[in-house]
Amino acid sequence: MKRIMIDETKCDGCRNCELACMQAHRSTPGSIYDLDLTSRENESRNHIVSLQDGSYRPIFCRHCDQPECVMSCMSGALKKDPDTGLVLYDGEKCGSCFMCVMNCPYGVLRPDRTRTRVLKCDFCTSAGTEPSCVGACPRQAIYLEEVIG
Amino acid sequence: MRHVIIGVGAAGISAAGTIRQNDPAADIIMISKDEFVHSRCMLHRYLSHERDEKALSFVPEDYFETNRIYWIKGRSAEKIDTKQKEVLLDGGERIAYDKLLIATGAKSFLPPVGQMRRAKNVFGLRDLSDAQAIDRMSHNAKQILIVGSGLVGMDAAYAFLERGFQVSVVEMADRILPIQLDETAGKAYQQLFEKAGCRFILGRKASETVLDDDDMLKAVILDDGTRVECDLAVVAAGVRAAIECAADSTVQSERFINVNERLQTSDPDVFAAGDVAGLSGIWPNAQKQGQIAGWNMCGIQMNYVDTYAMKNTMNFYGLTTLSLGRGAVIEGDQFVICEDSRNYKRAIIRDGKLDSILLQGDISYSGIYQYLIKNQIVLGEKAERIFDVSFADYFDIGPDGQYCYKIF
Repeated sequence: MKRIMIDETKCDGCRNCELACMQAHRSTPGSIYDLDLTSRENESRNHIVSLQDGSYRPIFCRHCDQPECVMSCMSGALKKDPDTGLVLYDGEKCGSCFMCVMNCPYGVLRPDRTRTRVLKCDFCTSAGTEPSCVGACPRQAIYLEEVIG
Repeated sequence: MRHVIIGVGAAGISAAGTIRQNDPAADIIMISKDEFVHSRCMLHRYLSHERDEKALSFVPEDYFETNRIYWIKGRSAEKIDTKQKEVLLDGGERIAYDKLLIATGAKSFLPPVGQMRRAKNVFGLRDLSDAQAIDRMSHNAKQILIVGSGLVGMDAAYAFLERGFQVSVVEMADRILPIQLDETAGKAYQQLFEKAGCRFILGRKASETVLDDDDMLKAVILDDGTRVECDLAVVAAGVRAAIECAADSTVQSERFINVNERLQTSDPDVFAAGDVAGLSGIWPNAQKQGQIAGWNMCGIQMNYVDTYAMKNTMNFYGLTTLSLGRGAVIEGDQFVICEDSRNYKRAIIRDGKLDSILLQGDISYSGIYQYLIKNQIVLGEKAERIFDVSFADYFDIGPDGQYCYKIF
């Protein structure tokens, strides 16, 4: 499977990845220049944490080999695709119990602002592209790599 | 190899999937009383008419075909003959097994209060069949009584309020959701429910029942003499493990079926997982137990180690809460509270380690707290900013790109 690899030492916290994620998941057509940054329709699936020493830590879904979120899902909304290795989320099935938020050991997941859905990286399968965040990173702090999953 | 699984709940389904992954040639047979695979955590969405039977399923529609599982539905497994290695069904048929998993779950417990058990309009809420029976009966009802304000009780209350019934909740404790929440967090939900029309009677318990000639419950009398009228009652007073099928067998059980760390029973070819094994009553752990049992049934030795079970999330009227740990303060604990207009956060730190945490409102990125609690990580200076701690503080990456914790 492909995974978004992270070299946190290269991250300088520009948050282009977050913007790219928001743009990829917007429901309206348009370019990044008219993206509504406050819309609940396109909240970012990834985020960057800045530490007190001035360094940054990119927090991105790992599409884990043994995904705890899938194990905790009581509605069948979260599944690991055996072919692609991706952990995918079906918002229609979701019961919005948020046990996945509780069970992700890496604190990647969160409820959206309507508290009816989970914000979950879909590897840009919905946008029909390679992960947008990777393309937007000017420092190659995130990059795609084939791994054995 | 033939694997037989009794039960199509979280543990049973997860075991079946694991077995299929590891043994493409195995025969897998599942037996269930349930006619539909359904998520018990969503029964209130059925009662509220937001979802039908099919939409309660947590597996794809073609699950049994794709995984080549033979499903005997609507039938109950009455007995297990460990000598012959057979399961006896209610119709008398015998199903042979090489490895057997008991994943029968639990059933609602109706306390022996007055004539509660005799009344035709008093229900537990555990299975789809309960929800269906409640739904049929509710067409002639106006006033609904809920006994117990745990998660099941509040789920039921939510469903009936959505449909415009008059709902009264009787709770023994002086606050709602007493196991999961403290007073402040419980109050926030109580207010939301009251706004939706719910009536709470707290610190009281039902002591007598009033039945009519048709054995219908008309009212309960509380311990202070108050009479609460009702047309239908849902009793959410806990569950008991469904161990009946193992009762007369060599498989040892007490309140639950006894298992070792591989979820194997006293009979080496019989396993048990989920509520029936009594290790934990929550969905994520049941699925994990099913997976562990599935591996062991395929001969891959795995221990069930992720046993932490004092965890819950809830979401009513858009107010989300995460609750981990017992929430009880003892002498010497550090007790931290942080509140604003939208959030209530409370942590209990014991001996420099996180013991319990409750987050109400924003629960974003809160998955790390379970890790900190169950691995008893020494917090150090992070205790000072417990609500701002994130995975970034423990950030590390394995060679395959997966995250891991760096503990200093």
